[in-house]
Amino acid sequence: MKQVLNQTRVATMHTLILVCVCITLMIVDHRFNHLEAVRTNISLILSPLRYLVSLPALTGNWATEWFTSHNELLDDNSYLRSEVRLLNARLQKMEVLEEENTRLRNLLGSSAKLADQVVVAELLSVDQNPYRQLIEINRGTADGVNIGHAVIDDFGIMGQVVHANRHSATTILISDPDHATPIQFIRSGVRSVAFGNGNTDQLDIRYLPATADIRIGDELVTSGLGGRFPADYPVATVSVIREDLTRGFVSVVAIPKARLDSSREVLVIKPRIE
Amino acid sequence: MINLRYLVIYLSLVVCLILMILPLPDWVQTYRPNWAALILIYWSMALPKKVGLWFAFFTGLLVDTLHGTLLGQNALALVIIMFINLNLYQRIRVLSLPQQMFYIYSLLFINQGVIAWIEGIMGRPTSLITFLGAPVIGMLIWPWVFVILRDVRRKAMLG
Repeated sequence: MKQVLNQTRVATMHTLILVCVCITLMIVDHRFNHLEAVRTNISLILSPLRYLVSLPALTGNWATEWFTSHNELLDDNSYLRSEVRLLNARLQKMEVLEEENTRLRNLLGSSAKLADQVVVAELLSVDQNPYRQLIEINRGTADGVNIGHAVIDDFGIMGQVVHANRHSATTILISDPDHATPIQFIRSGVRSVAFGNGNTDQLDIRYLPATADIRIGDELVTSGLGGRFPADYPVATVSVIREDLTRGFVSVVAIPKARLDSSREVLVIKPRIE
Repeated sequence: MINLRYLVIYLSLVVCLILMILPLPDWVQTYRPNWAALILIYWSMALPKKVGLWFAFFTGLLVDTLHGTLLGQNALALVIIMFINLNLYQRIRVLSLPQQMFYIYSLLFINQGVIAWIEGIMGRPTSLITFLGAPVIGMLIWPWVFVILRDVRRKAMLG
């Protein structure tokens, strides 16, 4: 009897200690960055699991590529060729414009814009916390991907890197409730911040002045403020404008350009250190 | 020298971690049962000396890293249900499977409650469906988990 009582007491003590440890861990993790190293190390041990889980998807892709018929490949090829021709034509125009731009900037005496460096990455098919909008990509610090780098797909901004491990990185999507993207309306030049709300097809822009010049269909790009996202990448299109006249504000709902729920290949933009 | 037979426990842990990050369609994702909790409850009922509070704590940390939640969030939830389970397992072990299911439901509910509470503190309220759905699925899956792990345990001649 005494022994049983003793055991219960030990278990209770251990529980209390562990509960305190957990709460301390959570507070430290939430407020400071000291635990990043711990997280990275545990992630490194678990990375085989992640690859194992995304293996079926990878094999699936490989198999579809392998079994694509000759005709389909020919079709693809001719389509891609015409696409390349089109893009090349556009690029020629771009080069001229770029040159003109630098010349004008030189005339004005402002600093020249630099091209961004990018790393191509693929998504790992791994499900994360259902309460949050996180994705895992297959490039990490070994490839130069680091915390704070912007992630885009071929349509627009997707998010930014929040944890970087050696060979993988966790990316927060712009639609996560915890994420805010500094944006600018192209047409009117109004600057604001777009918040995620947990849906992959919506961004909220709150508290715009009632006099702001906004119309449905306006395009939003990154403003470059805050230093995380490079300027002028497409973010979203305005779809709903709600006026709250009692408070004198306008709130806007916008549809993200990037295919947040279906893109598989992404680009990580490495900012240049000046 | 680690007893090789106990490897079975770690193997089941690996399988459960895989199940926890297996890609599922969005609408099913919210109903994903808490596999880590189910497996920990089973092993702590069968081998309470081997699988206890510290095991739950470290499993929780692994789940937190995999899911990208705060370090300690799942760990706290698992430690709490493990404490309850360690106090009650002797009474629960003798119940029939359908009776056990209600016990499992309440443990999973507490687990979910702790996680949702922490999410709430950080300003991410959870919907009622997410909150209640996953424990129900976990409860319905329990008999299979129990039978499979019991067979595994007997094959490995543990306990």
